Amino acid sequence: MTATKLFELSIAEAGRKLRDGSITSLALTEDALARIIAIDPALDSFITVTADRARADAAAADAEFAKGIDNGPMQGVPYALKDIYDTAGIRSTCHSKLRADNVPAADSVVETKFKAQGGVLLGKLATHEFALGGPSFDLPFPPARNPWNREHIPGGSSSGSGAAVAAGLVRMAMGSDTGGSIRGPAAYCGTIGLKPTYGLVSRRGVFPLSTTLDHCGPLSWTVEDSAIALQVIAGYDPLDPASVDLAVPNYLDGLGQGVEGLRVGLPRHFFAEAQDVSPEVVSAIDRAAETLEKLGAVVEEITLPDYELFNACGRVIMYAEAFAIHEQDYQTRPLDFGLLTYMRMTLGAFITAVDLHQAMRLRRELSQAVNLQLKKYDALITASALAPAPAFADIVPNIPPNWPIQTMPFNVTGNPAMSIPTGFSASGLPLSMQIVGRAFDEGTVLRIGAAFEAATGLSAQRPALAEG
Amino acid sequence: MMTEIPDEAALALEFDVFARRAGLDIPADRRAGVFAGFKDLRRMLALMRQPRTAAHEPAGTYSILSVTRGL
Repeated sequence: MTATKLFELSIAEAGRKLRDGSITSLALTEDALARIIAIDPALDSFITVTADRARADAAAADAEFAKGIDNGPMQGVPYALKDIYDTAGIRSTCHSKLRADNVPAADSVVETKFKAQGGVLLGKLATHEFALGGPSFDLPFPPARNPWNREHIPGGSSSGSGAAVAAGLVRMAMGSDTGGSIRGPAAYCGTIGLKPTYGLVSRRGVFPLSTTLDHCGPLSWTVEDSAIALQVIAGYDPLDPASVDLAVPNYLDGLGQGVEGLRVGLPRHFFAEAQDVSPEVVSAIDRAAETLEKLGAVVEEITLPDYELFNACGRVIMYAEAFAIHEQDYQTRPLDFGLLTYMRMTLGAFITAVDLHQAMRLRRELSQAVNLQLKKYDALITASALAPAPAFADIVPNIPPNWPIQTMPFNVTGNPAMSIPTGFSASGLPLSMQIVGRAFDEGTVLRIGAAFEAATGLSAQRPALAEG
Repeated sequence: MMTEIPDEAALALEFDVFARRAGLDIPADRRAGVFAGFKDLRRMLALMRQPRTAAHEPAGTYSILSVTRGL
């Protein structure tokens, strides 16, 4: 049997070894920093590596372990943040020329929570510019690449998060998701990507893209690690206008309970009838439905409103809100934005107040339609991406790409949604699906994900690049 | 904007009018890319409009509670 390498340890596994003294946080951290030096030049997933901070965090965590102090599951565990999360004293660029020298004075709420547990910050990760425009080669930092095939994109906008987790540079990295920016990279890179319910995780200190659609959440190699991360970051923040004051349940409790008796809705028309869908994606989701049935779940086909309505509703809101956020910079220094960001953001200037109001009316109708189904079903499964990761060569110059991905519906409705691998394409790229839950029922989403993950064993397969 | 989608020439005129009204000065080498996005946006705006009653209140209704909490 091959010995487990340090980078292969999950947060839970590393946590057990840190607590029984068989490894130190400093050893985990040095291993991660060495992997970043060796592998990341091929991926460009990191914008800033905070090596000194990481070593200091690790030494502090080890000292606390030695004193018998246990601050929680992230103590001594390396993590990384998308570079739109504010980090006090550490450059937070949004992958943009406009904020290339921005050093925040305060931490984002999420960073505060990881710091309080004694987590080890490895650095800040590549994103599409302002979580909107990319992948681009006209920005101050290069775009991240897909560890399964460097000639392919890793998805976005949490591109560095997906690439770094898949390459085994970090076990868990935070992303943000406005139209699929956690679940897209998770789908293309073959990781777990959890967009929690709107209002569950504070967005304070995270640069906004579209305030009524923005969500913060983790990407990780295992479902359990996303559950652990969510446990740390979930909770009420009175200073985040969207934050909801609810008790946070234990997300780990249900992970081993299986899916026996759960009812799962499958809106197969959503993806199977879509124009750009890959037959491999459809087959993989059909197999996933069969797997869940074999595990004891009841899977039934359901109908939701046309996917294009969700997409239109979400995009109109996103463009309008993004333009409102960036209007001053757009009017005074528009050409400092990258080309793709400029082209996408400009669309917000064409949306009228009436257009936006119609979108908000539609949003309520679509949310009610999804939640009506979730009265009958414990969860839904549907596609994340409709095809494996496109190649950089597929990008048409000067035209914003519009990759076939179906994540926007659950930004519109705010329901929790998690992307999870379902297999691989003939070309060796990851395939995926989403598990969607009732509002604030991340526990069931994670429970189904954990059962499916265990049944498929897909988390045992790493990209060749990760093996060094 | 109404529910019908005009032809290409009318769309281009509409694009220019909207850009002027918004005070945009779109560089010539970026116009084609932005216009491609505008056409897709125009399609989405038409798709969104469906018969609704006056009672269909939007999501994101203003909430005095969320504004005053934390003060």
